[in-house]
Amino acid sequence: MELDVNYMIDTFFLALGGISVTLQITIVALLVATPVAFFMAISKIYKVSIIKQIVSGYVSLIRGTPMILQILIIYSLVPSLINMIVKGLGWDFNVFDVNPIIYAYIVFSINTSAGLSEVFRSALLTVNVGQLEAAHAIGMSTVQAYRRIVIPQALVVALPNICNLTINLIKGTSLVFMMTVKDITAIAKIQAAFGYNYIESYIDIFLIYIIICSITQLLFALVEKHFGSYKSLKNA
Amino acid sequence: MLEIKNIHKAFHDNEVLKGVSIKVDKGDVVVILGPSGSGKTTLLRCINFLERADQGEIIFDNLQVNIPSASAGDISKIRKRTAFVFQNYNLFNNKTVLENVTEGLIIARKIPKNEAIEIAKQSLKKVGLSDRYDFYPSKLSGGQQQRVGIARAIAVNPDVILFDEPTSALDPELIGEVLDVMKQLAKEGATMVVVTHEMSFAQEVANHIVFMDGGVIVEQGPPKEIFTWPSEERTRQFLYRILPDRDYVI
Amino acid sequence: MRPFDPWFIVNVIPDLLAYLPVTLFMIVGSMFFGSMLGFILARAKIKGCRIPKLLADLYIATLRCTPPIVLLFIVFYGLPELLKVTMGVNINAIYKGVFVLVTFTLLFAASVAEVMRSAYESIDKGQREAAISIGLSEFQAFYRIILPQAVVVGLPNFCNALINLMKDGSLAFTIGLIDMMGEGALIVSRNYGSYALETYIALAVIYWSMIIVIEKSFNLLEKHLSKGKARVMA
Repeated sequence: MELDVNYMIDTFFLALGGISVTLQITIVALLVATPVAFFMAISKIYKVSIIKQIVSGYVSLIRGTPMILQILIIYSLVPSLINMIVKGLGWDFNVFDVNPIIYAYIVFSINTSAGLSEVFRSALLTVNVGQLEAAHAIGMSTVQAYRRIVIPQALVVALPNICNLTINLIKGTSLVFMMTVKDITAIAKIQAAFGYNYIESYIDIFLIYIIICSITQLLFALVEKHFGSYKSLKNA
Repeated sequence: MLEIKNIHKAFHDNEVLKGVSIKVDKGDVVVILGPSGSGKTTLLRCINFLERADQGEIIFDNLQVNIPSASAGDISKIRKRTAFVFQNYNLFNNKTVLENVTEGLIIARKIPKNEAIEIAKQSLKKVGLSDRYDFYPSKLSGGQQQRVGIARAIAVNPDVILFDEPTSALDPELIGEVLDVMKQLAKEGATMVVVTHEMSFAQEVANHIVFMDGGVIVEQGPPKEIFTWPSEERTRQFLYRILPDRDYVI
Repeated sequence: MRPFDPWFIVNVIPDLLAYLPVTLFMIVGSMFFGSMLGFILARAKIKGCRIPKLLADLYIATLRCTPPIVLLFIVFYGLPELLKVTMGVNINAIYKGVFVLVTFTLLFAASVAEVMRSAYESIDKGQREAAISIGLSEFQAFYRIILPQAVVVGLPNFCNALINLMKDGSLAFTIGLIDMMGEGALIVSRNYGSYALETYIALAVIYWSMIIVIEKSFNLLEKHLSKGKARVMA
């Protein structure tokens, strides 16, 4: 088996250009999902009845359907919706001008918020209720207690799971080429089609993802160390 | 009957046993005393190969085993002649009380199920737990669990029963029921080697006391001697702390 | 713009379900072979001998970072090449499902190895010690005492890994396998893309139902198997 190494090197650097797209989607998804997920986690913990049902159903739906279907559904639905709205409002707007990355933002924000809400919920539950009681006893409001006592502790517990979730998010973005978004996979696939160098392309993609993944894990390990420093070595 | 010779055991570079030898005759109740870290539990665990000593010999009647070169067959033979009662009971969580006791009989000794159940019921009767056959360990108190542990040990009819701090994990009010069972076993002539802090047991039931410190045997002898007039300084210091109501000339 | 047709969703479901056996076969096959490979990996990690453990760690870490679709394509394009070069075997005409099975076996093994390892290590070491002290062999101690307890501990995580397998497996159609998703893609193209949304929604409903059934089944199984344990209320 001969691998065209020169091709691989060239494609590698070309595909790296797609990293910015991957990062954009990842970061937007995390930013949008975090407040939403937090709200959902709180409403499940505090059992706010109707909202709790809706949230449970929503989370079950998102986590119970494959990513690719969510992508295909959003990609079929949203452009038509936008078109309808735009035509209804009489605006002169070509829906095909919309950068498809917007659809990616939507899909991954929705998907991440579901998974993240479960991570937050279980992390918040690990913080002893006594912490909240003690905070109230010295006069803090619930909001203050959460901000200064509960959330920091929950965060440390949640970090490994958030790392996991982020890695899955990054892996999930490998599917956005189906929405014509030019990410790493898309670029490499296009290159491959020129000379049928499929194996080399995919190996390149594979290597890039491993690099991204390792860097992400490293970053999270650093963050974990920083936030977890209040725990003494004895308890670690 | 059982002789342990010159046991050496180190964990990484920490030498825990530095040449320990003891002899156990049939019907003996040997109590091993000593501060924590003295190696008493390790010694016990070396006897039935839960730990493998770096040096030493075990002589069990006519079975002579050199520990470092012991084969799986030798180890199995020794394990079939001993039984172990753990500090944390270690009852099989996924089996009922009756099943816990029959497990060793049916699986290791290939005794037919009906016979095994009979033997198990006798053992459980001896420890006073005839009304709990189908209970799972999680539903029992610590004292009850430990008594099942003892039943499990005596059911296999061992030549020697090894007890590793059997009451240390128990609430004070539950210690008595376990000690009573052990005293009864001793009265009936069981051969026991016990690591414990329960001085009442050591004074009343044991016929041989071994005091260990720092991986060696400091002193050993009959309880009367050890408790009334210990010849070693370290023994005196240890006993002084443990038995505050006695007078010793330090 | 053609209006959305909810009835189409209902009508297309039977057509899709006709290919359920293919989807299930891929999932069950990957689960089966993946568990075997995962067991080997877990054992390597637990036993701790240097080289096997290193290889196992490397394998798991690598696959953890690989997007399923990328692995699928590497296997799809790479396996025939590999076999052609090493053994002179030409498998280009082989059933696409083989590539799917290989890919998802490799992926499932990585995640299930971790499930097995953490379940095993959560069982108190004293259970094994008690077993061998009454004369059971190492194998008997593992099989009769530790394994049953480890299975109960690992069941929820195994269920999670299985659900992820089902979701990742939905990508098989991208290399041309005609399972439910593949049939769905065919239906969409037969209708010149006009009923795409309805078809995808139908598929989503099917997958959601399957996953809920799996979750509930595992819950029941867990309840049944842990009759002896004091459960911590989650």
